[in-house]
Amino acid sequence: MLAEKHKDKIAGIIARYAEKRGALLPLLWLAQEEHGHISEEAMREIAGLLDLTPPQVYETVTFYTMYNRRPVGKHHIQVCRSLMCALVGTETLLGWLKTKLGITTGQTTPDGFFTLSQVECLASCGTGPMMQINDDYYEGLTQEKVNRILDDLRRDGKCALATGPFMWPEPQSAKR
Amino acid sequence: MADMVNILIDGKPLQVEKGTLVIEAARRIGVMIPHFCYHPKLKPDANCRMCLVEVEKMPKLQTSCSTVVAEGMAVRTNTPLVEEAHKSVLEFILANHPLDCPICDQGGRCDLQDFSHQYTPTASEFTDVKRVFQKEYFSPLIEKEMNRCVTCLRCVRYCDEVMDVKALASINRGTMSEISHFGAHPLDCEFCGGCVQICPVGAFVNRLSLYEFRPWMMKRADTTCGYCGDGCTLTLQTRDQQVIEVMSAQGDGRNNGDLCARGYFGFQFVNHPERLTTPLVRQADGRLHPATWDEVLPLLAERLTRLKLAHGAGAIGGLISARCTNEDLYVFQKFMRLAIGSPHLDSSARYGHVNAVRALRRVQGTNRWTVSYEDIVQADALLLIGTQVTATNPIVGLKVKEAVKKRGAKLLTIETLLPSVETTSNIANLSDVHLMVPPGRHGAAVQGLVKAVFDESLVEPGLSQSAGDFVERTRAAAMALPYPDGLDERTLRTIVKTFATARRGVILIGQDLLQTPGGLEATVNLLDLLLLTGKLTQEGWGLAPLTEENNEQGAIEMGASAEYLPGPAEVAEGATRARLAAAWKEDIPSAKGMRLLEMIEAARTGSLKALLIVGENPVRSLPASTKVAEALEHLDLLVVQELFLTETARLADVVLPASSYAEKNGTFTNSEGAVQRVRQGLEPIGDSRPDWEILSALSVSMGYPLEYGDTKEILNEIRAVLPGYRILGVSVEPARVDTQTMTRYLAGGFAEDLAVRYKATPDGTAGGSLKGYPWTLLIGQSLFHSGALSTKAQGLLEIQKEGRLVMNPADAHRLGLSEGDCARLTSATGEATVPVAMLGRVPEGTLFFPDSFREALAPILSVTPDPMTGVPYGKLCRVAVTKKVGGS
Amino acid sequence: MPKYELILLKNMAQAGYTGSLADYERASGYQALRKALGTIAPAELTEMVKKSGLRGRGGAGFPTGVKWSFIPKDHPGPRYLVCNADESEPGTFKDRQLMERDPHQMIEGMILAAYAIGVRTAYIYIRGEFVLGAKILERALAEAYGAGYLGANILGKGFALDIYLHRGAGAYICGEETALLESLEGKRGLPRVKPPFPATHGLFQKPTVVNNVETLANLPHIVNRGPEWFASTGNPPKSTATRVFCLSGHVKRPGNYEVPMGITFREMIYEIAGGMRGEKPLKAFIPGGASAAFFTPQHLDVKMDFESVARAGSMLGSGGVTIMEEGTCMVWAAENLLHFFNHESCGKCTPCREGSAWLLQILRRIEHGKGKMEDLDTLARLCPNIAGRTVCAFGDAEIAPILSTLQYFREEYEAHINEQRCPFRAQPAPELITVGH
Ligand SMILES: Cc1cc2nc3c(=O)[nH]c(=O)nc-3n(C[C@H](O)[C@H](O)[C@H](O)COP(=O)(O)O)c2cc1C
Ligand code: SF4
Ligand code: FES
Repeated sequence: MLAEKHKDKIAGIIARYAEKRGALLPLLWLAQEEHGHISEEAMREIAGLLDLTPPQVYETVTFYTMYNRRPVGKHHIQVCRSLMCALVGTETLLGWLKTKLGITTGQTTPDGFFTLSQVECLASCGTGPMMQINDDYYEGLTQEKVNRILDDLRRDGKCALATGPFMWPEPQSAKR
Repeated sequence: MADMVNILIDGKPLQVEKGTLVIEAARRIGVMIPHFCYHPKLKPDANCRMCLVEVEKMPKLQTSCSTVVAEGMAVRTNTPLVEEAHKSVLEFILANHPLDCPICDQGGRCDLQDFSHQYTPTASEFTDVKRVFQKEYFSPLIEKEMNRCVTCLRCVRYCDEVMDVKALASINRGTMSEISHFGAHPLDCEFCGGCVQICPVGAFVNRLSLYEFRPWMMKRADTTCGYCGDGCTLTLQTRDQQVIEVMSAQGDGRNNGDLCARGYFGFQFVNHPERLTTPLVRQADGRLHPATWDEVLPLLAERLTRLKLAHGAGAIGGLISARCTNEDLYVFQKFMRLAIGSPHLDSSARYGHVNAVRALRRVQGTNRWTVSYEDIVQADALLLIGTQVTATNPIVGLKVKEAVKKRGAKLLTIETLLPSVETTSNIANLSDVHLMVPPGRHGAAVQGLVKAVFDESLVEPGLSQSAGDFVERTRAAAMALPYPDGLDERTLRTIVKTFATARRGVILIGQDLLQTPGGLEATVNLLDLLLLTGKLTQEGWGLAPLTEENNEQGAIEMGASAEYLPGPAEVAEGATRARLAAAWKEDIPSAKGMRLLEMIEAARTGSLKALLIVGENPVRSLPASTKVAEALEHLDLLVVQELFLTETARLADVVLPASSYAEKNGTFTNSEGAVQRVRQGLEPIGDSRPDWEILSALSVSMGYPLEYGDTKEILNEIRAVLPGYRILGVSVEPARVDTQTMTRYLAGGFAEDLAVRYKATPDGTAGGSLKGYPWTLLIGQSLFHSGALSTKAQGLLEIQKEGRLVMNPADAHRLGLSEGDCARLTSATGEATVPVAMLGRVPEGTLFFPDSFREALAPILSVTPDPMTGVPYGKLCRVAVTKKVGGS
Repeated sequence: MPKYELILLKNMAQAGYTGSLADYERASGYQALRKALGTIAPAELTEMVKKSGLRGRGGAGFPTGVKWSFIPKDHPGPRYLVCNADESEPGTFKDRQLMERDPHQMIEGMILAAYAIGVRTAYIYIRGEFVLGAKILERALAEAYGAGYLGANILGKGFALDIYLHRGAGAYICGEETALLESLEGKRGLPRVKPPFPATHGLFQKPTVVNNVETLANLPHIVNRGPEWFASTGNPPKSTATRVFCLSGHVKRPGNYEVPMGITFREMIYEIAGGMRGEKPLKAFIPGGASAAFFTPQHLDVKMDFESVARAGSMLGSGGVTIMEEGTCMVWAAENLLHFFNHESCGKCTPCREGSAWLLQILRRIEHGKGKMEDLDTLARLCPNIAGRTVCAFGDAEIAPILSTLQYFREEYEAHINEQRCPFRAQPAPELITVGH
């Protein structure tokens, strides 16, 4: 149960909005952080916290693509498929990923490590092709980078190639 | 006129109120703009884009459903551009719409079909693959076919805006948007049927009539619902002696087209296979055997006459259901008083509504409300006390919701309810101020309200001059009381202050107040409150007692009780009795008649020899402790007119098959006093006959002919004795306070029982004598049933098939009970075992059980009669609860 | 050194600038706020913004000061400011940079706006995917509270403001301001019917201003350097000051470039962004995000300002400029964008909900060699039945790529149909994503 674990946090979130329902998206995020997806049980609990009916929570959950209604792999790879990335190599990127992972989009590797999805524009159109894996962006991808990212993630659970505070082109001074 | 604007629609000038929507303005001059998502009950959403029109000076087409008229606005609804836009929206919808019109129940009454026909679209250019939503099970009563959906969201919006239920979800998005409930769970809601009724296409259809008909094959009868006192107009759709479907889509009637589960899905008792189709007579073998009317009527007449000769007319009593029509009730009381000559008669209005009428008559000299549903909608403060309005009077509940949600009225509630959001609506969720009262404490709360009138200095200044004695003595009586234990003083004061400072306000009271000890006094005290604050005689203000059964108001007005003649007029008043006797050309028994419990008692003791019961089932309605069955078995003759072989009918010597409301004509009088038509939709089932007809035939056999050709003749006679008993169609003219009566009350009438009315009522919940029985069990109305009749309606059984003991989840947790477990209840009189359910709105310490299944609790319940009105108070019971382990 | 003076990107272009409060203050951050709270009345600030000519950078280009002045003056009860950080228009990635690299610039802008319109509670609605951005903003907000720039008594001047971060969860439409408000209220992001406008019935039905990240980031500069200066830069009077344009696609140096409005696309593409990648000729470009109509080389000399682009038949929109070289299939490009629009349509309006799917199905067929000549007429007929017939501007947006490619590249569509295959792409995309999701 969320309420037991995050009592104060939840109260703090609810207090930010003049109407309780405003706290719905933040609480759904909290549930997803906790469980990796949003279960019916979580929807019921959040409905209770916000004086909503479960259907009211459900309709909100299903509108937004980032709320997982089913468990996903440990690393959720989301490849941008929109035009700007597609112009510079989405298909190639997907090819690499599929070969390397042995799965196609919409699937999860048998070990549960990776789920591969395609998503729409992630606002890194100048640095395509790109993908988001869980919270991190990986941009300007090459086959070498992709291999390293997947290997690092499998091994260490993280990868240093994730983009930091974004600026492109990089400032002159920062160029190596 | 400042509030009017001048506009042009298709060149025609017209004047409409400010704020009118263009689509509405157009309709006033007969211009119908096609639409899907617009509905007058809902806020404009402008999502279907069907209603586009040209508005001069606006570059783009505008949606007429969301555009408000403005002075000088010129609208065109029939230009080529507009036509093209309408056609194009249809084209978009039809691109993915299945071509299943031939098997769609909406076929023939479908907006999409009608508009498509109107715009005769050319063959669709859509040649790609249609979107397909997989069929999924949605609910036992409502079929969902998403491929037909036009995504107008009327269902979702209705469920939220009108019903305040919020059980429907519009899920996913874009092209894949669809309507759902919660995940793959079947629909769990109030089952008002509103989504089916408001769907412009066949996306939601009634499963009870799925594929049963084509609309044009059905016969229609506009009639009035026979369940609760709200008096909804509904249309019975029948085919070959079967009720196929019920709807109220015409949108007129006091219910404005809205219905509840009972009205919409509760019709199948009519064609139930167990309906009685012939008279039954108990033979020497002790069993009931079929007989013909020709056999049974003379037999019955003879036995009644013999008993009358042997023991006097006073040995015969009569009891009738307040679900009967006014015509049935009128003939019944006349039959009892004249054909039999007995003063002993009663109706099921005895269970509570007599308290309300007695109080109204005493203080304001009316038998009815001084307000109407319109006044509820237009009130800016509503005070609900013990109404359980959603379950008991769902349509009045909608009026309250409309007042609060659409018009911003302040809602004050004093109910045995906790605010708690579930997918059935809960009036306490809408309250501005809510006071949770334990069962049986409503009267104490009312005393607190009157005290608060003084504490908040809300007494109408003029009243102290005109009725100083009343003010001062009531003040003294009320102020001598402390604020009731366990009820928050501040809340009581806020409620009174909010109410008394509103511009117009209505007090609604219901069964939790009227049917519990002190109900009569509390009702009078509420009238005191209105008097003290100077509101009683003001336009739009009043006290509105709600009735549980459809025709309780009629039962009293028709004189179907021991103390009242038609009018009602007091039997005890010589002058009125004489006037009626003159009209009837017959003497009216003047002896004090016995009421329900007294008749049962007399049967037990043997002074009552025969009882004629019409549509009532006291063996079920009264608890085992009253030993009704035993008493009835003592009778020499028990006659029961019924639809089904009920517990009571099983004991009868003669059972007569009666017709249901679907098979007869007549009138019902609802809570607010609207007299509405009951129209026959079917021929009587089997050999059944309307109750009035049975009584009339019996009277002929007995040689005291009360002959009527049809119900119109009866109604004409009713009108002759009750001037003004008119059919009031769509509007109601509320009664007016009788100044003479009020003055008499203020001048001293009030004092008769002042001390009783303002006597402190101890908080029973804390009472020591109740040791060992720490829980209060409240028997009340379920939203899905009404009396026992509804338990014969398969549709309603699909929603609620049994009585469950409803308790707060925290209590259940404490008792180690989960949903569906069995609980053992013990009271001072016995013990019973029932399954449990949990609901957050039931206060801790309180248990709720639906009245329609009360027989399951018969061993533990008991009644106390009201010393004044004889109301058998039986809603409350102190019990102990444990989890039942093992067995079943 | 860049050719044009940087305003918004100036700090972050400095070596070692981290965007921390200390860095920002060192670069004279929060001076504008000090100045405003000390010497400028709220109404006066609104006047200054009006005078500056600042227009919204979110896409519609509405004059910011004018929008503020629609807030009812003496409305009792709360009113709100919302920073639109939903940046999800394909081709646009400037707000991300402005927030992640110089968060305090935007926060200072928000405080100024809140002060001008009398707001005590403001929200930043950031798209859910920007997890890093959200973290950076949370940290920056905490710093600002710590330094007394936010909270109950800002800089001791009696002005109070709370700013809360609210994360979206994956829905392009929530960039549309009324859908955004619905989403902030915890609902599905369906745009509202207007009127009433957010200025009177916004968040929780209270008066509300929604401004884009870049719009807000401009405010400190208006206060610091004066509205007159601001109004004299860029291409006055209608398109004042700079914009951060986002270059993507087949150019040598894609990225964010801040330039004064009014330079030409030619200069932007061939000088600033380094010209075409691989030196292939330019075939087409999108001047203002996926919702803008395509341009062709004939439009290279159009000036990059609101009016000029509109006059040439497209829009400056969100500032996302996407360049496509010769050899890029226009049908494929339109299909890709329609996939986006179909996926992101909220589903409220019939023409958009049903139309986006239908259009996508036709385009997909044509691209995959299954088109018919009649399809082109159907496309041309359906598009105007969507544009202008919907609740929000999404309806206008989704047809822009189709109508403009049909206008400029009709022969390419015909070639697909005649040859029953895509002339450009040897193998059509291997996977067909079905309509819906
Ligand atoms: C479909 C659609 C998507 C939009 N997306 C965004 C967006 O991601 N970011 C943004 O700032 N404005 C977006 N807008 C514009 C907003 O509705 C609104 O005009 C803007 O936030 C106002 O801020 P401004 O006046 O500062 O530009 C979008 C508009 C539409 C119709
Ligand atoms: S135009 Fe499309 S995105 Fe905009 S409100 Fe209508 S359906 Fe939603
Ligand atoms: S198009 Fe891929 S990030 Fe923008």
